[in-house]
Amino acid sequence: MTPQLDEYVEAQIQRLLTESGAVAEQGITVQRREHLLVLGGEVESAQRRDEICRQITTSFPDVEIACDIGIVRAAAPTEVEEIS
Amino acid sequence: MIRIAAVGDVHVDKDVLGRYRPALEQLPGVADALLIAGDLTRHGTVDEAKCMAREFGDLGVPVVVVLGNHDHQSDQQAEVSRVLADSGLTVLEGEGTVLELNGHRLGIAGAKGFGGGFAGACASKFGEREMKDFVGTTEAVAERLGAALRGLECDALVALTHYSPVPETLVGEPLEIYPFLGSYLLGQAIDSAPTSLALHGHAHHGTERGRTPGGVPVRNVAHPVIKQAYNVYQLLSDQVDAELVPA
Repeated sequence: MTPQLDEYVEAQIQRLLTESGAVAEQGITVQRREHLLVLGGEVESAQRRDEICRQITTSFPDVEIACDIGIVRAAAPTEVEEIS
Repeated sequence: MIRIAAVGDVHVDKDVLGRYRPALEQLPGVADALLIAGDLTRHGTVDEAKCMAREFGDLGVPVVVVLGNHDHQSDQQAEVSRVLADSGLTVLEGEGTVLELNGHRLGIAGAKGFGGGFAGACASKFGEREMKDFVGTTEAVAERLGAALRGLECDALVALTHYSPVPETLVGEPLEIYPFLGSYLLGQAIDSAPTSLALHGHAHHGTERGRTPGGVPVRNVAHPVIKQAYNVYQLLSDQVDAELVPA
């Protein structure tokens, strides 16, 4: 059974995502549901998103996660803003 | 008229190579220069800086950058700056540069900046040595940024930082971390000169538009905020041209 997720687990995961050399992401949101951790935010590649999930699953094998992390679009703009 | 393309927080590493390139190759037709507001790499290594130089080099327009906190992670910021400079990018830290573009002089003063917070909830240089060092670092950076801005002779002046000079462009971030995202001292430095536009990154969940207390437009160009390869801003224009038609 998935353990109750508390603030300490949330804080540990937040720090893991920043301080882990393989991740180094400060822009990932971590929301606690009753027995589920929802990850949000955007990263630069699918590999980075997958590595975030892998790191959490490895360090917290009992924590169930839902990954809503997106990949930031990198298309050219179609508009210009005039600054005045 | 001058058109400036801008983005921040591109966090380049091997896995990002080629992602920006199709949009970047359109740059000479749509902008006169590209400004990048820090967090050029993931961990601030020389290898990542080489990736950054490869992705954002040889664009056909001048590229001016500041470093971000990620670019300091490996304590190799000097080497990172050297790799970028050797590839033709201009790296600013408490200094300025003037570009001649379309018969106009675009002045750009840049600095990474640092934290400390904003009026009503800002850190003070008091108590532990670590706290005094924290606030003192921002004071010194802001002082250099202000001096660089005031020292440039140009037709349009742009301030480029990684950390935010105002709280408005942080809206969307948890209020508790505002002191780690920027400082009013940067805004004060920007307001000490006739600045036309201030660009910053760092706040991935922030808001795109704000203004300094002195009225300078501020744009948070962090990549997750603008959600495209770069934004384009038009300065010194005679008329609004909202359609981005390649020249």
